[in-house]
Amino acid sequence: MNNRTLFSNRVLFLFIGAISVMILLLVRVAWIQIVDGGEYKTSAALQQTKDIAISSKRGTIYDRNMKELATSASAETVTASPREVKASGDINDISTELSAILGMDKDKVYGILAKDSSYEVVKRKIDKDQADAIREKGFAGITLVEDNKRYYPGGTLASHVIGFVGMDNQGLAGIEMIYENYLKGLPGRIITAKNAAGTNMPFKYEKYIDPQNGINVVLTIDEVIQRKVEDALKKAVENYQVENGASCIIMEAKTGEILAMATYPTFDLNSPFSIANEEIMETINEFEDEEERKQAETEALNKQWRNKAVVDSYEPGSTFKAMVAAMALEENIVTLNENFVCNGSVHVDTYDIGCWNRNGHGTETFVQGVYNSCNPVFMSIGERLGTSRFYKYYKAFGFGETTGFDLPGEAPGLFHSMDRFNVVELATASFGQGFTVTPLQLITAYSAITNDGYMVKPHLIKSLVDNKGNVIENFEPQVIRQVISTDTANTVCKILEGVASDGTSKNAYIDGYHIAGKTGTSEKTPRGSGKYVASFVGFAPADDPELICLVMLDEPMGASYMGGAIAAPTFKEIMTDVLIYRQIENDSTLEYNFVPKVENEKLADAKQLLENSGFKYQILGDGETVISQMPVVGTALGNNAIVILYTESTEAEKVVVPDLHGYFASDANQILVNNGLNMKVVGKESMGRTVLVGTQDPPAGTEVVKGTVVSVEYNYTENVH
Amino acid sequence: MKAARKTESLKPLKKIDVSFLITVLALLSYGLIMVFSASSASAHYEYNDALYFVKRQLAWALIGIVIMLTVSRIPYKTVYKYAIHLMVISVILLILVPIIGIEVKGAKRWLGFGSFSFQPSEIAKFAIIVFLARSLSVNGDALQTFTKGFLPYVFITVSLAVLVFIEPHLSGAIVIVLTGFVVLLVAGAKLSHFAAIGIPALGVAAIAMISAPYRMARVTSFFDPFKDSSGAGFQIIQSLYAIGSGGFFGLGLGQSRQKYLYLPESHNDFIFPIICEELGFVGALLVVVLFGILLWKGINIAVHAPDKFSRLTVIGIMGLIAIQVVINIAVVTSSIPATGMPLPFFSYGGTSLVFILAEMGVVLSISRECEK
Repeated sequence: MNNRTLFSNRVLFLFIGAISVMILLLVRVAWIQIVDGGEYKTSAALQQTKDIAISSKRGTIYDRNMKELATSASAETVTASPREVKASGDINDISTELSAILGMDKDKVYGILAKDSSYEVVKRKIDKDQADAIREKGFAGITLVEDNKRYYPGGTLASHVIGFVGMDNQGLAGIEMIYENYLKGLPGRIITAKNAAGTNMPFKYEKYIDPQNGINVVLTIDEVIQRKVEDALKKAVENYQVENGASCIIMEAKTGEILAMATYPTFDLNSPFSIANEEIMETINEFEDEEERKQAETEALNKQWRNKAVVDSYEPGSTFKAMVAAMALEENIVTLNENFVCNGSVHVDTYDIGCWNRNGHGTETFVQGVYNSCNPVFMSIGERLGTSRFYKYYKAFGFGETTGFDLPGEAPGLFHSMDRFNVVELATASFGQGFTVTPLQLITAYSAITNDGYMVKPHLIKSLVDNKGNVIENFEPQVIRQVISTDTANTVCKILEGVASDGTSKNAYIDGYHIAGKTGTSEKTPRGSGKYVASFVGFAPADDPELICLVMLDEPMGASYMGGAIAAPTFKEIMTDVLIYRQIENDSTLEYNFVPKVENEKLADAKQLLENSGFKYQILGDGETVISQMPVVGTALGNNAIVILYTESTEAEKVVVPDLHGYFASDANQILVNNGLNMKVVGKESMGRTVLVGTQDPPAGTEVVKGTVVSVEYNYTENVH
Repeated sequence: MKAARKTESLKPLKKIDVSFLITVLALLSYGLIMVFSASSASAHYEYNDALYFVKRQLAWALIGIVIMLTVSRIPYKTVYKYAIHLMVISVILLILVPIIGIEVKGAKRWLGFGSFSFQPSEIAKFAIIVFLARSLSVNGDALQTFTKGFLPYVFITVSLAVLVFIEPHLSGAIVIVLTGFVVLLVAGAKLSHFAAIGIPALGVAAIAMISAPYRMARVTSFFDPFKDSSGAGFQIIQSLYAIGSGGFFGLGLGQSRQKYLYLPESHNDFIFPIICEELGFVGALLVVVLFGILLWKGINIAVHAPDKFSRLTVIGIMGLIAIQVVINIAVVTSSIPATGMPLPFFSYGGTSLVFILAEMGVVLSISRECEK
């Protein structure tokens, strides 16, 4: 081999070697790119992009008439890229100015901006003014991100039902919590490119994924009825000095739809974390120890958020007698006219168990026993039923288990364990003591009586509706089971109507309506504490029930604690307006009378004339003779109207016409009478069917002479159920 | 004699190998485009001028082309004549580097001042080639003996490499040693002699590795780059992310994301990953194919070169290019432990580009004398 050949061979060898190595390296590149490529690509994308979530618009919560109860409005959140802020070199100025705009501590803002990261939240859900100010300044590394803020237009309205959301718009209570998955929607994302320093790229956004808005929830709640209920509860709590809160439920008897569910005291959903009760707040502030204070605060908040209608169970007392009467009639162990004798107490085992009326009711029929709410009558019935039958019906009426309601924290109630459920316990259980039920359970049990024996499932949701108004799901009424026969149910209805017109529930009687219902008063344990629960469950119309209403007043400390004395009037106050609002048939006719001529009559004669015509009067001046009258002769007015009689030629006394818009008929009339004015309904004249005041004449704010007739016209809302 | 010389210089120049020149220009153009794309991000952030680096590189490329064409007109005998001088100058400059060199990132590799500075190791790489080529062309038979031929040549090569190594500049030293071996190999050195020094060499390599903590870190991070993803393994991971993101066709020219400060030196030693990211496997293949053509063309010139000196010189230069290409790609694909090795024609760096082009000028000059 000569030198030249050796040279060529070795060059070829080196060339092949070099090319082989290069091919191997290319295989390596291909391996990295194609086999491992996906993994590297993902990791690279992770470090190269900034992923910011955009919150979706939370679904709206509506009442049954599509009135907004909870709604989301856009608000902005301030975010920062601390690395960019630092890179700008203005971190001091930016934190000073930013903290001033946001009303935050300067050091706190600086602390956030000094972090070694490329994404931090500075402040969530700021006001529009603040957002505009920040936008105008255009700080380096500070960005405003659309966010959603929850608003509750009703404030305290139905707060225990609606619930509220936390900082991240997550449902924390009530419907907001239970329907979280529907309401929240799907958040969108903005994916932006970033460089290794965490600052932005010289080009714009890469990807924007739209958020999906939440689904709207339509409640069975009627905002108008809810408001009426809350007002009445507030009044009751104040008038009767109710210490431990009050609760009321109104349910559609045939469907189980909840029209109103209220707990008082209530709280403002727009600031659920502040304690509404000032007295409690003061006691909390007195705590020196931070931990104790925190704990007291948490306890107070939990109590504030407690939905008594669903979560609190109590001894139903006599309101449970309707169930016991139904059991007895269903089992044919009693006839309506069967005679019982009440001596004021009954000896059971080793105890003497008394009637509420210690003197005894004497001889009475079964029906009269119900009217009188006579304990011995029910103890006798209980004895005839026996423990196992009693317990069977107790379960059949849905007690001892939750109803499967749409709100969190439902209590099942407490009952004796069966081995300890003996004659004494049976005797007291027969008049509703010794076990507990929730208001929701009790009103559900009453639906079996009002609904031909078929108990309906209580529910709060009418439908789920998407953003375009398409109904996603309708919630149809559901029958849980038939508890008693139709005959038994109708008989009990009739008896209970008698209770409301003749018996212990007379205070619930509403003129023109067939009201049925049962009062209840139970002493809280420990007995002898002097603490009671006063309650009333009623329904109307008795012959074909449409609405059931339960009122529960926990620990009334006023003049009376009796259900008949305080819960029944509250029921009446609520139902008088609700029955009219719901356009439920009224068989009373409102009488109209014409104002007689009393001008120039002697005062005594004038009084007589007005009284005879069913008018009230007010005398102005000290004269003996009526100089003029207001309203004038011949005016047609309802029979509680006031006629103002002027006995001196003084200037007519003037009053300002109040704003009546949105009031119920009776409330509007009361307001006018209080102001010395009269009301006249114009347009479709039918007091029994009217709803809320729409327009009035003269308008609010006008100064008029006392006794002037204010004409009001009602709005007739659509029949919505 | 004098007249003869004159006529020789006056007679028209023979033709250069145009296909070799075109390959060089193709590599150079590809390189410039990629320097522009890879450097635009860091140029934007550091100098607020996306063109900052590419403008300079373009200027150097033009200077380099002029030098290449000039050198190609100089008879290669001139190179033969000054080969010893070049070696001596290299040694002097290398000795000066630790004394008056410019320190960059903990190593003194540069000589000069201001914007005019160069790496003497670049000269040394060329000097070892022409020195060995000249010496072996005169005294080639001695190479067949171990102690009187092979060992002294290895000693000279390694000595020069040691001067580079102490800067410290390991990759430069490796290139010098490997280039020297390529020349010795094609000059006919016995394979058994290489084996005889191979084993002690491995020992030296081990010592070199252990003696500097940063080299040790590179080795450990090579075996598990993700173990220390923010430290020594960082650059390699970022390199793999870039290559992996490219896929077959890449993200498109200019679309690299890794160049946005993620991959350090993305327009220098790590320009190849950016090519892979933007142009995918296709872009990487084109790089390798172009170098393959260059090597093939160069070998063709060597095989037809007029004498032993020119043959060894061309192979030495081709070896120099090939060694750097292979090491660079091997490093960025995490196939060997990391070491700073530029990719010829692609990596940003004015003086090294000028030297490469000058060396190409030498090859072109030799191509004129090839047997056609």
